Amino acid sequence: MEALTPFELEVARLLVETLHLEEIKPEDIAPEEPLFGEGLGLDSIDALELALAISKTYGFQLRSDDKENRLVFASLRALSQHIERQRTR
Amino acid sequence: MSRQWARLPERGNPLALRSIRWIALHVGRSVGRALLYPITGYFLVSATAARRGSRRFLRRALGREPSWRDLFRHIHCFAATILDRVYFLTGRLERFEIEIFGGQTILDQVASGRGCILLGSHLGSFEALRTIGVTVRHLPIKILMNVEHNRAMTRLLDALNPELARAIIPIGRPETLLQVQESVQRGYMIGALGDRVAQGEKTVRCRFFDRETAFPIGPILLAALMECPVILFFGLYRGGNRYDVHFEHLAERVALEPRRRQEQLGSWVQRYADRLEHHARLAPYNWFNFYDYWAEESP
Repeated sequence: MEALTPFELEVARLLVETLHLEEIKPEDIAPEEPLFGEGLGLDSIDALELALAISKTYGFQLRSDDKENRLVFASLRALSQHIERQRTR
Repeated sequence: MSRQWARLPERGNPLALRSIRWIALHVGRSVGRALLYPITGYFLVSATAARRGSRRFLRRALGREPSWRDLFRHIHCFAATILDRVYFLTGRLERFEIEIFGGQTILDQVASGRGCILLGSHLGSFEALRTIGVTVRHLPIKILMNVEHNRAMTRLLDALNPELARAIIPIGRPETLLQVQESVQRGYMIGALGDRVAQGEKTVRCRFFDRETAFPIGPILLAALMECPVILFFGLYRGGNRYDVHFEHLAERVALEPRRRQEQLGSWVQRYADRLEHHARLAPYNWFNFYDYWAEESP
């Protein structure tokens, strides 16, 4: 299995902690697997909760009119890359 | 849990909806209402699943075995509100007597400038509330709606009332709840219905009448995440041209502790279910969930 980069692991920890995914280890999340629907099976409320946690931790808000939202939540890797580009802290 | 409702004709029989719209706009309400009797009779005989759902509910709400007359009255009440939707949507409100209870709750909320969740149900009609709220009073309201499930109704709405159509936030898209969050931050009240479970939605079991069934936790969880109040609403059809709209304050803030999260969410949803049961007992023929609500039939 592909290893996570240190930052991907950090985002994976935030994800597991925020969404109370007790049965999942952050380091076991496959970086290219979809987070929503199949894959981890998160739903849209999880997406909101995650978006709130991201804004608190990294200091930027995900916006509803962002055309890239679908891509942002596509996988742990895509999400981590988006955060790295947008973060203010 | 029961998702039978997604397959019900109510949710998208374009011909039936078009006919009712045509009757409402071209024939007039009194003739339209007369035509509801044969239409009701037809559904009473042909829609067996809906009839079973009606019987199960009325048995509980009336506390006795419902007669054919009760079942007829139930379906007729639903048909009458569908007809009236057309009048509400086209802004012909002058023909209705609408009494509002607890309206101060809403006015105070609007005055505060803070957003909230306006939580309703399929008990009665939400059309009176949303047309008066959005197009008459121009209150800051957005409505969360399952657009995909209900294309026929959505197209009808677009055609009849574009202002209302613009107030809708479609459910089930990645940006849906980000849109909700931004709207609440801008002081909008978000209308949602909390008594039907959508595919894949998280639920909690609540006592409703004499036994438990699944309720969605989504709306309450949303209020908790956005730290905003929850106000309940019930728009009940009272026969003739009368509607009662009730507003009730449910929660100023839904606070969740990490360790007791599920339990606390469950108890808030139970309070919603209790208020729903209270109004459903007082207005049983307004119960428009014509399916196996308690999931008692084997699949």
